[in-house]
Amino acid sequence: METPEYAYLAWALLFGHIAIVVVGGFITVLSKSLVRALVGLILTLFGVAGMYFLMAAPFIGLMQLLIYVGAVSVLIFFAIMLTNAWPGGDESVKKPVKRTVYAFLSGLAPAILLSSAVLSTAPASFLVPEETEVSELGRFLMEPFILPFELISLLLTVAMAGAVILGLERRRKK
Amino acid sequence: MSLLSLYHLVAIFLLAIGLFGIVYRRTLIGIVLSIELLLNGAGLSIMASTQLTPTPNELGQVGALLVMGIAAAEATLLLAIFLVVSKRFQNVEADKLITMKG
Repeated sequence: METPEYAYLAWALLFGHIAIVVVGGFITVLSKSLVRALVGLILTLFGVAGMYFLMAAPFIGLMQLLIYVGAVSVLIFFAIMLTNAWPGGDESVKKPVKRTVYAFLSGLAPAILLSSAVLSTAPASFLVPEETEVSELGRFLMEPFILPFELISLLLTVAMAGAVILGLERRRKK
Repeated sequence: MSLLSLYHLVAIFLLAIGLFGIVYRRTLIGIVLSIELLLNGAGLSIMASTQLTPTPNELGQVGALLVMGIAAAEATLLLAIFLVVSKRFQNVEADKLITMKG
């Protein structure tokens, strides 16, 4: 086992990342400007990536940074800038109280249900997870998980083709 | 409370705040931001369930990768859909998109 000071550092890191995730989540949902909301989402993504690293899965953490922070957030930034969702525009209108109450309830109800289920039936867990080699992961992806792997590549191809077709249709109509 | 429950509670927080955002936001882009939060929570939960229990680790890691792939595909397609919607309706507010045009 490690020395206690390292364990202390690990707990501090874990709760720091949880704090980053929570703060980023609130910025994402409550921010008036959509660009600021996107920055909050990126903060949350970094926090989740750090939690992957803490779970001894550095490969998935790096993939999270590459795919989410590198690609998905840039795509969403393009979506904000290319449509009429101006920062300080549509989202800055005052929201009706009824909508806020409904939103709060729809978030709170599953949270209470699921967290009570998690807390009452939690199995014992490791404190220190063990690391899996990337070559093991590749072998797993190629032998028993070959069908989901191929299906996700098909999904990505279809999504990209669909995006291109939608873009072309827009230009032709003009 | 074990470490697994802590990770699961963070994932549930992401789920709850994602659902909150889907109802609360006015524009489609804000809704997509909330959906990304939801998907992240799902990935975190899958990952924690296998890394911290005796289940084979590869299952969770591949599952998290598949969630990321689905999120990437979804973001690609939604960008194209938003471009078409904003061209046709001149805005991307969910409440104003109430007519269907062929």
